[in-house]
Amino acid sequence: MLPLWLGVAPFAVAYAVTARAAHLSLLETQFMSLSVFAGASQFAAAGLFGQGVGGWSIIATTFLLNVRHVLYGLSLAQQLPIHGWRQLLAAQFLTDEAYGVSVAAGPKQPGGLSLGFLLGAELSLYVVWNLFTLVGSLAGAFIPDPKAVGADVVFPLAFLGLLVPLLAGRREVLVAAFSGLLAWGVSRILPGGLTVLIAGLGGALLGAFLSTPQSRRKVKP
Amino acid sequence: MTPLLTMLGMWAVTFASRYLGLSLGGLRLPSFWLAFLRFVPISVFAALVVPDIASAPDALRRAVAALLCALLIWRTRQLAVGILCGFAGYWVLRWLGWLA
Repeated sequence: MLPLWLGVAPFAVAYAVTARAAHLSLLETQFMSLSVFAGASQFAAAGLFGQGVGGWSIIATTFLLNVRHVLYGLSLAQQLPIHGWRQLLAAQFLTDEAYGVSVAAGPKQPGGLSLGFLLGAELSLYVVWNLFTLVGSLAGAFIPDPKAVGADVVFPLAFLGLLVPLLAGRREVLVAAFSGLLAWGVSRILPGGLTVLIAGLGGALLGAFLSTPQSRRKVKP
Repeated sequence: MTPLLTMLGMWAVTFASRYLGLSLGGLRLPSFWLAFLRFVPISVFAALVVPDIASAPDALRRAVAALLCALLIWRTRQLAVGILCGFAGYWVLRWLGWLA
């Protein structure tokens, strides 16, 4: 878990600095970490708030970014049948990292993956994420005008940090290039929130089209 | 919409995504949509980065800093190293007044 906590901490700081640069208050910045608790979408929202994008576009982008959690839930539910309030609790704190650890290390525990193991992974990340959100918020408060001193450059840098490890093959690079260029083109005509939605959907569809026929081809002799 | 209302909406759609999967244990998605979901983060992250850099007044300087950051993260797999060096690189270029 330690590498995950160390990985999450600087990202939480970067999120908070971006959110403060977007003129969100200390309370608002913290509230997002306490409630939404989803790194990439919080970060995207902070950037979109900064660009003056409307609320519905931010919510729609959040949905697009977080709909992948359906997959994690489906996968976890196969190994860990839980119901009622336990399901609500496990759902609220579910993240990429907690899912990754639970699927990788959970089955090796005596008795297999347990709710305790999943919640331990989830809640420890929650504490680290919120603690370093506060640290970043306080540090961000000392930056006079983040745009003027160029602190807003942290935003694309941190997203590259998320993107680069995902570029595992040619298809992934192609999708990223396509989506980036599409977003650049669209952003000249439409507001920021719509740009991310259109390019995000377009890129993911391209990725799905590129993947599916190939896997079918492999099945045929 | 106030930021607080927007955040409540973000919370609702995020929680719904997390809860839906856990409550539908037996469902199987077609491979096309599994692939679609897998490519969403790649696609969205790229869509956030490129216009942000390209529309800045000092786009070239930011692009060089981003390239440095991406290369370092690719080589070291360390998020913090990439961000800090990219940021430092940007500041050095700014201080020197290059690539304005």
